[in-house]
Amino acid sequence: MSWTDIGALTDIPLRGARIVKTPAGCIAVFRTDEAEVFATSNKCAHKGGPLAEGIVHGKQVTCPLHNWVYSLETGEAQGADEGSIATYPVKIEDGRLLLDTDAVAARNAA
Amino acid sequence: MSQPLAPAATFTRIAEVWIPEGDHLVHGGGAYDGAEGLSDLSGQMSFAKGEGLPGKAWAEARPVVLKDFDGSYFKRTEAAKEAGLTCAVAVPVFAGKTLKAVLVILCGDDADHHGAIEVWEDEGSKLVLTDGYYGTAKDFEAISQDISFAYGQGLPGGVWAASTPILMRDLSRIGAFIRAEAAGEIGLKNGLGVPVPVPGDKSFVLTLLSSENTPIARRFEIWDARPEMVGAEKKALRMDGFCAVEGPLWPKENPPVDAVSASAWQGPVGQVLGSGLPEVHQGATGLPKGYTLMVALPVYKDTELTHVVAWYL
Amino acid sequence: MQKLVVIGAGMASGRVLEHLFDTAPEAFDVTLFNAEPRGNYNRIMLSPVLSGEKTFEEIVTHDDAWYADNKVTTRFGEKVTKIDRDRKVVVGENGEVAYDKLIIGTGSAPFIIPMPGHDLPGVVAYRDLEDTNAMIDASAKPGGKAVVIGGGLLGLEAAAGLRLRGMDVTVLHIMGHLMERQLDEAAGYLLKQDLEKRGINVMLKAQTKCIEGDGKVERVLLEDGTVLEADIVCMAVGIRPAATLGQDAGLEMGRAIKVDAQMRTSDPDILAVGECVEFDGNLFGLVAPLYDQAKVLAKTLLGEDDAFKMRELSTKLKVTGCDLFSAGDFAEGDAREDIVFRDPKRGVYKRLVIEDDKLVGAVMYGDTADSNWFFGLIKDGSDISEMRDTIIFGPAFQGGGAAAADPLAAVAALPADAEICGCNGVCKGTIVTAIEGAATTLDDVKAITKASASCGTCTGLVEQVLAVTLGDSFEAKAEKPICKCTDLTHEDVRRLIKSQELKSQPAVWQQLAWKTPNGCHVCRPAINYYLLADWPLDYQDDLQSRFVNERNHANIQKDGTYSVMPRMWGGMTDPDELIAIAQAAKKFDAVVKVTGGQRIDLLGIKKEDLPAIWSDLNDAGMVSGHAYTKGLRTVKTCVGSDWCRFGTQDSTGLGIKLEKRLWGSWTPHKVKLGVSGCPRNCAEATCKDVGVICVDSGYQIGVAGAAGMDVKETERLIDVATEEEAIEWTVAFVQLYRENAKYLDRAYKWVAKVGLDWVKETLDDPATRAALIERFDISQSVYQHDPWAEHVENRKAQYAPLADLTTEAAE
Repeated sequence: MSWTDIGALTDIPLRGARIVKTPAGCIAVFRTDEAEVFATSNKCAHKGGPLAEGIVHGKQVTCPLHNWVYSLETGEAQGADEGSIATYPVKIEDGRLLLDTDAVAARNAA
Repeated sequence: MSQPLAPAATFTRIAEVWIPEGDHLVHGGGAYDGAEGLSDLSGQMSFAKGEGLPGKAWAEARPVVLKDFDGSYFKRTEAAKEAGLTCAVAVPVFAGKTLKAVLVILCGDDADHHGAIEVWEDEGSKLVLTDGYYGTAKDFEAISQDISFAYGQGLPGGVWAASTPILMRDLSRIGAFIRAEAAGEIGLKNGLGVPVPVPGDKSFVLTLLSSENTPIARRFEIWDARPEMVGAEKKALRMDGFCAVEGPLWPKENPPVDAVSASAWQGPVGQVLGSGLPEVHQGATGLPKGYTLMVALPVYKDTELTHVVAWYL
Repeated sequence: MQKLVVIGAGMASGRVLEHLFDTAPEAFDVTLFNAEPRGNYNRIMLSPVLSGEKTFEEIVTHDDAWYADNKVTTRFGEKVTKIDRDRKVVVGENGEVAYDKLIIGTGSAPFIIPMPGHDLPGVVAYRDLEDTNAMIDASAKPGGKAVVIGGGLLGLEAAAGLRLRGMDVTVLHIMGHLMERQLDEAAGYLLKQDLEKRGINVMLKAQTKCIEGDGKVERVLLEDGTVLEADIVCMAVGIRPAATLGQDAGLEMGRAIKVDAQMRTSDPDILAVGECVEFDGNLFGLVAPLYDQAKVLAKTLLGEDDAFKMRELSTKLKVTGCDLFSAGDFAEGDAREDIVFRDPKRGVYKRLVIEDDKLVGAVMYGDTADSNWFFGLIKDGSDISEMRDTIIFGPAFQGGGAAAADPLAAVAALPADAEICGCNGVCKGTIVTAIEGAATTLDDVKAITKASASCGTCTGLVEQVLAVTLGDSFEAKAEKPICKCTDLTHEDVRRLIKSQELKSQPAVWQQLAWKTPNGCHVCRPAINYYLLADWPLDYQDDLQSRFVNERNHANIQKDGTYSVMPRMWGGMTDPDELIAIAQAAKKFDAVVKVTGGQRIDLLGIKKEDLPAIWSDLNDAGMVSGHAYTKGLRTVKTCVGSDWCRFGTQDSTGLGIKLEKRLWGSWTPHKVKLGVSGCPRNCAEATCKDVGVICVDSGYQIGVAGAAGMDVKETERLIDVATEEEAIEWTVAFVQLYRENAKYLDRAYKWVAKVGLDWVKETLDDPATRAALIERFDISQSVYQHDPWAEHVENRKAQYAPLADLTTEAAE
């Protein structure tokens, strides 16, 4: 694992998201609770909508384009929709956000 | 089953609810069967602990039967006699140690119309009669005073053992109901037994026995509201009952998936589930067809409302 | 008409007849034999008859009138001695009946252990009304003693009944625990305790040796030497199929009469149903599969296709106050896993048996509330792996939510003089009186009392009064809940936010018992709007509860870029603005579009460029056009009296004044205005949310127009003489809409719900108008500012990526 500092926890508004540009494309980092973050692909499996712009609720996000709802824990689309997005390890240390860039790269290689 | 019925005179005539407010019981509604004197008077009254019939039930923490208005602690004697009432019972409703309300039922009978109200109290291993009203049925009264019921035995014992209200039919055929013969003679037919929990160790069971001529009511219902029966939602299932109009009111399937359900606050029975207080509901609205008065008594076990007993006139 | 003969008037054959008469009342001429001298009754309810908790009359399923109505020839009390298949006749004690089709429903007979003394008077089985009556009669002896042999379902129900009748009762059971076919040992133990508490004596592993007595039962002797006095002995050790008739007739037999899935015996004209049949090696004792069989048999008779399938069974013991449930299979096995829950204080025991991630058995004692849910899981063979850890706690736990807030409680508690409908001043008592006067629907109440006939926000409340008063018989026409997070409707929530003074989202979630931790994409924007509209000074607008367009103050396009549209007041612009727009378009590589709302749209802007382009436009004196909001969009105007030869008033001027007054306000849905200088209506004002037509005498204000999915002309709100009045009425109307409409209802939808009359009446009062305008202005003091400038100033960083790892990776 290669934990890369991507910014401060407080850079992301509560129940909001920011994107991180990577060679594998944009990754959305969601802050679902005071100290709870998730990282997923920013692209909705449906029409590629920018998930970081969606409304974050519970541990889910709703795509702003057509309201697909994803579990941020599993990346699976919820309800009747079928599809999934990649999820990546991300953690909080001393108020900093660390993303596992190896996982991102591996995903890219695959 | 739907033939119109001649509205038979009922044994219970009037019911009222008294609610504790500070150190007094205040009037919390009632139905007075046209007895305006009593109605007007009651609305203005309140009772301290130990005062009058409701106050006595509160102070003594047990159901109290009043057999004779004359010279008693009853404070509304004139109005009650004017309305043709002959006896009354006050039932305290306790949730744990807290008095929720006192339900007062006033009854009227005469030489041809019988009914009985009994209060049974446990004496360790058996229940004995501690209070009762039998009107003119003196033989039956005498027999009743001499008997006792063991745990699980007969209507009072069954109610005591099962901690649930029980509705008995056909009392005259209940043999070891030693009193069967005497009951048959005066036409006592149905019996409703209700546990009356009070603070402390004593157990009380209230039984209302009614004859065909003068039923306590024309429709009875027992609703089960225990979470172990109905789940997390606040509601109740009608597990037993009968009605002069509709016939049997109990679920026919086993398991009883077809039991009628009532949700908290919905309709008259729902009010009892919601508020936890006895309810005297007057007027046909919300009541089954053909009825204009419902009396519903919540039954508690500790602080939890477990059953609702309702009867309709 | 075909001749149908039925042997046995039991629950199964009774159900067959019901199906036949329901679907084809004229198909068969039916003769019904019954050995018992009566028709069909609900046999499983004999136990409460025994205990005195029911009368026999109550459990009769088909009375004489029913048989007469359906023209059934009844031969009750008459045994059938023989079926002559060659002649196709049934031979009864009193004569023969010919059949085209024959149904055998002879049920079962109790099994009597042939021990010495089993034939003494006073030894009864427990099968029919005769047995029940024999026991009732025996119980008439004061202090009488009863012995029940058999600790299964029937035996225990008999014991409980006899005890309630006052007898001293002893149950003898040969096995190690009670009801071993339905219960495991632990539940059997609890049941034994419960019965003993009722004064019933239970003896397990009890081997009965013989019954003794002089001319009648007097005592029961056990192998271990115990002697039990007895006035009556009830033998309830089991049943066996009563299939002799079928056997004698030469039908194919197993342990009972064999039937196929269509309930046909080996003779195609003879069918059989109930406890006397064997299907696929199975015998039947509980009622549910018998009803299934009855349905299939009726269809077979009518020539329809159906097939009987075995299904899981469940049962409950009918002893008042004993809560016991068992279903499925709970024998232990290698591949099986148990989940057990005990609460000794409450006397509760629950055991679930799981095999291959499926629930295969359930035993519950003391708490059977969730039994149907468990039974459903067993029947459906549902995969329960995901809820394995919590399944024992039942369905409420799986939902995750707490019990929903009960709005009815509050309504029930309201006194009669509490005002329900503020618009029309209708109090609860008035509504209840109307309901008592036979109003049973919302429309009735509306018509009689006018409650909820105006703004409609109290609709939910009126329905709740109906529900409280009428009980379950009232069915709300049901405005739908906002979303799955709550059972409340938009109207409920708006009302509760106001009445309970809920001023934050957590307050709403908590007080109104939201089922999710913080809502979802459906409810959050609505709640956010209601809070900011009702409590502008207390509530902080939450960007994270807004759709992307309102959060980023630009319209997201399908490729993820945004469009940027500066405001052009009343559709007026000037060369400097146009130059700035043109430069911005070039700089940020925008596509340029002139819109129908008299403005210029710059499309294709990347998110990270938004602050920069806004900054450029701000520098040229332009602000956001709010082309992305549920809020004031544009005020479309014509050139008016300044230039046009037909113009009657300064329509452009009024448009600009209105736009300057209203811009920046949030509304339930978008709001578009138009001001036309004359009735020729060049500004298309008559299809706007608010449209003003200037005339010589002043201004005609129309509202509730639409030109989207629906097209609708405005309706006249009022004619006014001065420009000030036109602005006053417009602002008051918008604020009324803001305060009362459901989120995402355009003005025309809202007006259709509340009625234009109500809107007119409300706004007609100068004091009301003034108050609305005052509240609007308070809200504007918070919300009328340019979001672009603010975001450039405070939130610029949010528009850039949090980090850019592409360069690092390249290094």
